[in-house]
Amino acid sequence: MQLHPRYFGRNLRDNLVSKLMKDVEGTCSGRHGFVVAVTGIENIGKGLIRDGTGFVTFPVKYQCVVFRPFKGEILEAVVTMVNKMGFFAEAGPVQIFVSNHLIPDDMEFQSGDMPNYTTSDGSVKIQKDSEVRLKIIGTRVDATEIFCIGTIKDDFLGVINDPTTV
Amino acid sequence: MIEPYNKLVKLAARAFYDDLTSKGDNQPKTGRSDNRGIAVVVLDALTRRQWVREEDLAKDLKLHTKQLRRTLRFFEEEKIITRDHRRETAKGAKIYSAAVAATADATTGKEGEEKVKLHTHSYCCLDYAQIYDVVRYRLHRMKHKLKDELENKNTIQQYICPNCGKRYTAFDAPRLLSRNGEDFDCESCDGKLDVESDKLAAQEGGDGDGDENARRRRREKLKDMLQKMEVQLKPLIDQLGRVKDLPVPEFGSLQAWEARASAAGRAANGDNAGDSKSHLGYNGAPMPYSGDTKVVVDFNGTEGKGEGVKSETDSTSLKVLPPWMITSGMNLTKEQRGEVKQETKMDGTSTSTAAQYTDEKKSTIGHDDKNIQDEYIKAYYAALLKKQHELEEAAKNPQDANAADDPSSSTSIRKVGDKYKREEDDDGTEWEEAPARGNGIGAYKVDLNVEADAPAEDDEDDIDWEEG
Repeated sequence: MQLHPRYFGRNLRDNLVSKLMKDVEGTCSGRHGFVVAVTGIENIGKGLIRDGTGFVTFPVKYQCVVFRPFKGEILEAVVTMVNKMGFFAEAGPVQIFVSNHLIPDDMEFQSGDMPNYTTSDGSVKIQKDSEVRLKIIGTRVDATEIFCIGTIKDDFLGVINDPTTV
Repeated sequence: MIEPYNKLVKLAARAFYDDLTSKGDNQPKTGRSDNRGIAVVVLDALTRRQWVREEDLAKDLKLHTKQLRRTLRFFEEEKIITRDHRRETAKGAKIYSAAVAATADATTGKEGEEKVKLHTHSYCCLDYAQIYDVVRYRLHRMKHKLKDELENKNTIQQYICPNCGKRYTAFDAPRLLSRNGEDFDCESCDGKLDVESDKLAAQEGGDGDGDENARRRRREKLKDMLQKMEVQLKPLIDQLGRVKDLPVPEFGSLQAWEARASAAGRAANGDNAGDSKSHLGYNGAPMPYSGDTKVVVDFNGTEGKGEGVKSETDSTSLKVLPPWMITSGMNLTKEQRGEVKQETKMDGTSTSTAAQYTDEKKSTIGHDDKNIQDEYIKAYYAALLKKQHELEEAAKNPQDANAADDPSSSTSIRKVGDKYKREEDDDGTEWEEAPARGNGIGAYKVDLNVEADAPAEDDEDDIDWEEG
């Protein structure tokens, strides 16, 4: 955690903690997943002054809540975009794509200004802002990004909540 | 030792490659020219050989070289065989005129009369270690694919761009989203991507029954396939198990194998035994390795020729030299079986050097041997020239016997010729032609045979060494 000298003073520790939270919350590391919230500071080590500048680097140990999706996990997500290739949904910070061959076969794509997937009898509809329960079948972890593929083809998966009716 | 591996190869060939044709895809496959199963034949043939020249294999199997090449190329891509391409003089090639030679394939670039053509010969050999791995991988992939389909695991959708053929998976989906958000665009060519269905059990029409039935039918079909596969591949899998613990038969690279084979051959019994091992595939020309070779030396009587040959030898210093070369370096006077070949090979013709190179492959000699041999060649040709000149002189008057006698006492090389003559009396026919052309070696034969006769007879030589 690097700190500018203007923050030195009485509130050094508080400044450090708030800077930490601002920087770290919302980021994603491939190993741990998304950092959702910092819950506590464990330890702040001695600061090391960088050569040439006045910045000081503090090693900070902290605890936090992380979110990492796993293969096989069931999640609820909110649909963000519907496409004839499938739909995109978000479960918190992670984006999930459900391709159309993992959507039950009785649901057909209907384009329009509100593209959606609908059953033949019109009873179930998946469109933007619908909530769906899906199962993660694959994750792709980059250095700073996690992306998932999901399915709603299995039992107990699919739309939870229709935004039009609610 | 090698048998279990050969059996494995045969089983794998029949299991996986028995419907491979070597016809191009755009050619009509008529009933008459259908050659499915050619792959099996080729693989079986390869199990009975080690390193083999592709031309020879084609001849043995009575296949077109092109067809064979296509099949071999396919196998090379499947990593079942290894191939080696080498440039070397055509074995047993006829001597063409200098003009033809100059316009033929890559020549060695020597000036003067260019009698040597360098062709690229291809050799191939089964690669047992890789075969074992390849077969196992193939089985693994087959099983995996079926199992995944069965359990719906293999469900990561694949996309392919119809324009440039680039493939994507569903993981790339957010990157591929087009501007209108409606479909996926290829990253390189902006073409609309197509969904690639990888379902083995494709849904036939009949979706009317609804999802459940279709799904059940698909599962049944997949399970069926899986079971059939297990049953039919059982012998192959068993063979794999048996072969697992055996050491892999290893032939090494082409050069190494040649060296070994010829060395072993020489160790066993000089030339003839070496023949049996390395004969196949190396005597492209059916030149007999025994002492019965009849060769007419076409000696232009120019030093340059001799040197041309010599430099030829030099240029191919990396080539293995015939066994007789080695022994000849040791003792020039004694001609046991090996030396007899000297004359045949020490001809001033390119084809004879070609023949020499045939044998060269049979053995490797150290560089010092090579030097001795070079010296020998020089001396030999010098002597030959001398002899030839004398012969030409002598040919004017019917005192050939005398003329022939004289040279025969001059150097040890003559002695070599002498003994050869004595052994090969009936070869006189071909030697008769020699004087007419100033053939140096023919001079040796002159001794015993009537050389005044016009050379009318051609012998039934395997190789016609004569200059056109």
